[in-house]
Amino acid sequence: MHLKYESQLREPLVNGDKNYHQVTEDICRPIEVRPTKLWYIGFFISVALLLFGVYSVYREVTYGIGQWNLNRTVGWGWDITNFVWWIGIGHAGTLISAILLLFRQGWRTGVNRAAEAMTIFAVICAGQFPLWHMGRVWMAFFVFPYPNTRGPLWINFNSPLLWDVFAISTYFTVSLLFWYTGLLPDFGTIRDRAKTKLRKKLYGIVSFGWSGSTKHWQRHESLALVLAGLSTPLVLSVHTIVSFDFATSVVPGWHTTIFPPYFVAGAIFSGFAMVQSLMVILRKVFNLQDYITLGHIEAMNKVIVLTGSIVGCAYLTELFMGWYSQNKYEQYAFFYTRANLFSPYGWSYWGMMTCNVISPQIFWFRKLRRNLYVTFFMSVVVNIGMWFERFVIIVTSLFRDYLPSSWPVYYSPTIFEMGFYLGSFGLFFTCFFLFAKYFPVIAIAEIKHVLKTSGENYKEKVGDIEKEPVEEFAHQYAH
Amino acid sequence: MSQKKHWQSFGELNNSDEFQQSVQDEFREELPFASGDKGFLETATPRRDFLKYLGFSTAAAAIAASCEIPVKKAIPFANKPEDIVPGVSNYYATTYVQDGDAVSVLAKVRDGRPIKIEGNDLSPITQGGTSARVQASVLDLYDLNRLRYPTINRSEVSFEAFDKNLVQDLTGLGGAPVVLLTSTITSPSAKEVINQFLAKYPGSRHVVYDAISHTGMLLANEATYGKRAIPSYRFDNAKVIVSLGADFLGTWLSPVEFAKQYSKGRKINEKSPEMSKHFHFESVLSLTGANADERFLHRPSEQGAIVTALWNAINGQGAGNITDKVLKAGIEKAAQTLNQNKGSALVVCGSNDTNTQIVVNAINEALQSGGKTIDWSATANYRQGIDGDFVKLADDMNAGSVGALFIYGANPAYTWFDSKKFADGCKKVKVTVSFNSKADETTQLCKYVIPDHHYLESWGDSEPKAGHFSFIQPAIYPLFKTRQWQDSLLKWSGATTDYLAFLKNYWIPKLGGEPAWDKALQDGIIKPSTEPIPGGSTFNSTGVGAAAAAIAGTKGGNTELVLYQKVSIGAGQGNGNPWLMEMPDPITKATWDNYVIISPAMAKTLLNIDLGSSSQADAYEVHPDKKMVTVTVNGKAPVTLPALIIPGTHPNVIGIAVGYGRTEKIGKASAGVGQNVFHLSSLANNAVSFAVNDVGIADAKNTYKIALTQTHNVITTPQGTRTEVFKELTFADFKKNPGEIREDREKELKPWGGLEKFESQGTLYQPFDKPGIHWGMSIDLNSCIGCNACVIACHAENNVPVVGKSEVLRYHDMHWLRIDRYYSGDIDNPNVTFQPMLCQHCDNAPCENVCPVAATNHSSEGLNQMAYNRCIGTRYCANNCPFKVRRFNWADYTGADSFPNNQDQQWVGKLDDVVHQMNDDLSRMVLNPDVTVRSRGVIEKCSFCVQRLQEGKLKAKKESRPLKSGENNEWDIKTACQQACPADAIVFGNANDSKSAITEMRYQNLNRTFYALEQLHVLPNVNYLAKVRNADETGENKAEG
Repeated sequence: MHLKYESQLREPLVNGDKNYHQVTEDICRPIEVRPTKLWYIGFFISVALLLFGVYSVYREVTYGIGQWNLNRTVGWGWDITNFVWWIGIGHAGTLISAILLLFRQGWRTGVNRAAEAMTIFAVICAGQFPLWHMGRVWMAFFVFPYPNTRGPLWINFNSPLLWDVFAISTYFTVSLLFWYTGLLPDFGTIRDRAKTKLRKKLYGIVSFGWSGSTKHWQRHESLALVLAGLSTPLVLSVHTIVSFDFATSVVPGWHTTIFPPYFVAGAIFSGFAMVQSLMVILRKVFNLQDYITLGHIEAMNKVIVLTGSIVGCAYLTELFMGWYSQNKYEQYAFFYTRANLFSPYGWSYWGMMTCNVISPQIFWFRKLRRNLYVTFFMSVVVNIGMWFERFVIIVTSLFRDYLPSSWPVYYSPTIFEMGFYLGSFGLFFTCFFLFAKYFPVIAIAEIKHVLKTSGENYKEKVGDIEKEPVEEFAHQYAH
Repeated sequence: MSQKKHWQSFGELNNSDEFQQSVQDEFREELPFASGDKGFLETATPRRDFLKYLGFSTAAAAIAASCEIPVKKAIPFANKPEDIVPGVSNYYATTYVQDGDAVSVLAKVRDGRPIKIEGNDLSPITQGGTSARVQASVLDLYDLNRLRYPTINRSEVSFEAFDKNLVQDLTGLGGAPVVLLTSTITSPSAKEVINQFLAKYPGSRHVVYDAISHTGMLLANEATYGKRAIPSYRFDNAKVIVSLGADFLGTWLSPVEFAKQYSKGRKINEKSPEMSKHFHFESVLSLTGANADERFLHRPSEQGAIVTALWNAINGQGAGNITDKVLKAGIEKAAQTLNQNKGSALVVCGSNDTNTQIVVNAINEALQSGGKTIDWSATANYRQGIDGDFVKLADDMNAGSVGALFIYGANPAYTWFDSKKFADGCKKVKVTVSFNSKADETTQLCKYVIPDHHYLESWGDSEPKAGHFSFIQPAIYPLFKTRQWQDSLLKWSGATTDYLAFLKNYWIPKLGGEPAWDKALQDGIIKPSTEPIPGGSTFNSTGVGAAAAAIAGTKGGNTELVLYQKVSIGAGQGNGNPWLMEMPDPITKATWDNYVIISPAMAKTLLNIDLGSSSQADAYEVHPDKKMVTVTVNGKAPVTLPALIIPGTHPNVIGIAVGYGRTEKIGKASAGVGQNVFHLSSLANNAVSFAVNDVGIADAKNTYKIALTQTHNVITTPQGTRTEVFKELTFADFKKNPGEIREDREKELKPWGGLEKFESQGTLYQPFDKPGIHWGMSIDLNSCIGCNACVIACHAENNVPVVGKSEVLRYHDMHWLRIDRYYSGDIDNPNVTFQPMLCQHCDNAPCENVCPVAATNHSSEGLNQMAYNRCIGTRYCANNCPFKVRRFNWADYTGADSFPNNQDQQWVGKLDDVVHQMNDDLSRMVLNPDVTVRSRGVIEKCSFCVQRLQEGKLKAKKESRPLKSGENNEWDIKTACQQACPADAIVFGNANDSKSAITEMRYQNLNRTFYALEQLHVLPNVNYLAKVRNADETGENKAEG
């Protein structure tokens, strides 16, 4: 799959003097030693947040959606904002593993495992919101097309919410399978290194009896390719369908044909930002700087500045179309409620503009792209900005739609509305901490795959051949 | 034969003991009754058993309440009476009476419970119209705060002991006079009872006290016409109406009657358009002022001068004494228009000043209104109190010269400006008796309290106008140990008959026999034998000059105050009724509280809020915290209330509603909302004046939350005027080009095929056929006066929950039908448009296609229907509804949730007491059993009263005839809002029936018909008729402000 030879001009993907054993050691170590104090602190904070989230949801389920400050005009607020936000974050993992796999991007190997895990957890978090935001969540099973005794009563295939149900569950299933398929050889490695019986048994079960035989590898590779092929359209379709929740409605500010590409770009944007946030910490905490190199960080920052600019173009296009349509309802939504800093929610629009469009432009500078502090800061800023984007789309559009008589009082969340969001962070990080402790955070097998072409020491070894005359080089290496 | 044994269960197979037992039992399976060893009373009420328990509690309440009544009167359903079918409503004609107000109504009784009030179409006075307060009165019947038994010194006694003690006390008075203090009594038989009672106690007298009295008018009429009476007004005969501060559509005298009459002049026949012209002069925007064609602002102190100026102008002398140019021009224009329409002009004035009313009488006389628009042949009895009489009574009480005071209907301890004097006086009266049905402020001062029946439990009669009678018959047994006050008086005057017998004795001879009495009860009314001809009266002009001189020169201070009544609350009678408390005020759109109304100009100088700046206006709108102001009136307790900025208020005038600041005794809903401001009124010229000429107002540097149901008030945005929301034009424009609205629509829809082809060309999809019935509604914005009667009717009919102030503050109000109020034009004196907004039942409904579970869908009859059972509460439909008429159950407002005990949240979303009050078994008796009580987490909305539609269709089907929807004014179905409307603004029916009223209405008004947000191609089944303002200007009054 990879070139046997990689140019010296390309940065190595694995730094340091590594061999296959060293790679296994480096990556398996965190799993085989006791977790650090820092891990415990982080884990317990996450669990505490999760528990507060559980309590918030318990209140909401028991007493009703009145535990939140939504109202008869703003029917969706933080709940769906958070849903779209998490779904967006859940885009990077599959994009990295599937699309970059198909595009033969070797650098994906360093980050794909963690990014995919992040995707899975983000989709789990996202799924909580449309579920628990239902007024009668105990009837949520109504959204599934199951045979029932209600005669001709069936789900409504016209509803974008129903499309969401299918889109998200499909995406989740395929992402999970893809991720798990990749994990199989690594689980096998951990099992083989296990020193206790229990460990051996558990990792034995989850590795599905991986033996590393050629047949296994062959099937594994084919499956990965098939799943990559399946996932690729899903990366584009999920957020497209999420955007249909808005685009197919009649609400000014929602009813926009630009939404599908704009949402997908935004999702990749926020997804990469989240990957950055996690990787910058992960490589430090687990000492994986050799595997998640500055080169990786920089590559992802490039994606961020690209998608951020696409999103910026979308914002400007929206404004242009708002003007061009000469539709007073749409114009009001775009120019009064949003672009006007002094309107009640003007701050959120300009917050979004600053975080998403203006600030990522600093990544045009290589120096800043390779600066870890700047990267981390920007990744947080971008995620704040992307949260604002969803908030702007959902709340400001609903806040003042057609009939001025129904324009409501200011919507701001209650403690339990925020609690649900915090709880989703708790869920996400609890999962992530457990993942970091029990799963290989970098795909060992795949790193090994690129080690001999892109590892620093191997590249150095074959560096001299670049000095050879072209004919000789061609003679030796061309097929 | 096979020996094979077929078995249904293992029990049968094994022939176990349990099986043997179960075979012998009548029901094999255990019945789903509350089982276990818990007693019946300890078991919780599961949702499924709701109706069962409701029935039981109703029966229990009825039995408990009627324990003194022989059991034979209870209705055993084993012997089903002919006229009672379970599940079928009975209607009893009766009369809503409160103080002097009397409205003929039908009480809808389901399974022994009155659940809804409908107007009585037979009444020539109200013609089937009702008001919000009439509609809400049924809830008062089930009020938790009604007094439940007679008390002496607050301890419960039996009726016998009560009578014995009281008679003893009365005989021990030693000849000290007995005074009966009541609000206006319109009942002729009750007056007879009073006379009998008073005759028993020589020297006694009857004092009539009205909280909002019309003393000035009564005395002025006495001075000029020799009759201390109020004539009938005939707004329907008036082509020009000038109102000088009389809120005749909202609170003045008989608003239901006047709304009916007024709306006749506002209906426009497109072929020969004609409409009445309404000038209004006032200080604070009232419901009537909001409907006026031309409205002028003045200070309350200027009212006398304005009346005089109008009089002068009518006499051709011009309005010279008015300095304000706009006002002067307005008066002169009004005078000119009045003069051109002599004989069909009417001037009414809300002043309680005798001199002012004398001049108004002179004006009407000059306009030859007598016998045309003012009818002296049938005088109205709505208000009879003279403030001077009460002043004298208070003096007498304080002097110790009143032996016994009997109080019915009056509550001077609350409504009298010097309530302390009255309270002090009460202490000096030996025997104080209250008949009031709640422990109101006055009743709390009384030793003897014997609560009266609710009118739905009473017998009686009423004579709202001379010659017109309306009867009261009970619709339910008395719920509590209460006794009608007439019964008590009869008893204490030594009569042996009860009031029912008395009433019969009074009426049967007059009517000529029992059958006639039965018919009168059945109809509820007796009309005058001949069609009444309006008559005039001789006018005595001697006092006019002096009166005019006396009123012309009043001076006011920098800021003046007007105390006004809210449509819902009145003088406090509506306070305590949750439906009325939660009813948005038609003008301010505020619920629950009272507040200080200030003008935008005053807001700028006093509170530093400039509504002209969009960011400040936004900040004012979106935050319910309103700045508070302190109002000080010389020598009286200052009042600190939040300020609401209401356009259309005179820049130097503030307004405060009376009727608030009541105690928990009136109702859980009353405590802690608003403040009483009756004490700010004063006595002027021996009549109570509700205007204060000089008040101090200061920023109190504090805020208070006001629960508004509408925060934004104009349809104009910087991006253009949203003319698709509603349409209005001036009468001049309409006459010039009647097709203007239609042309506008044509232009708007041009890109999608124009008006004709819009339905098919505005979409990618095939249009649907609409065979059979297709329901439609038409709302005439020109007739709608914005009174909110429909809103309360909808509440009652559809079990719409009350959510309390804290929830309205969060914009969680549940009204299925609301009245949007928009301003246009000049912010200081805007035009007002009311638009009733309910589910538009769109044929291409945006809510329907977004529901993931198809809980909201379209019926073959064009209804957008909700299956509550199916709803999972995603709220997507509410978001996608352009009309924002869908309401979500944010909490368990009704107690109908599947989760028990979940209304006790303490922190976030704490429910107000009123929600629990509405969930009480007693309050729940008002629920309409035909309509599901919605549980938490589902969306609800207007159903076009689908339960009525089904009932009506069934009726037609049973009689094998087509449905009647308005042809020849015959109706199988009227929606609750349509039935309640006093202005006949709402027409509903089968739009596929070429003869139905709705088809007729649309066909007759092709030029004015429009659909809200038509360009969205949602194809509403509700259409509106454009508002036409009778102004001469063209274009100016189009919505642009």
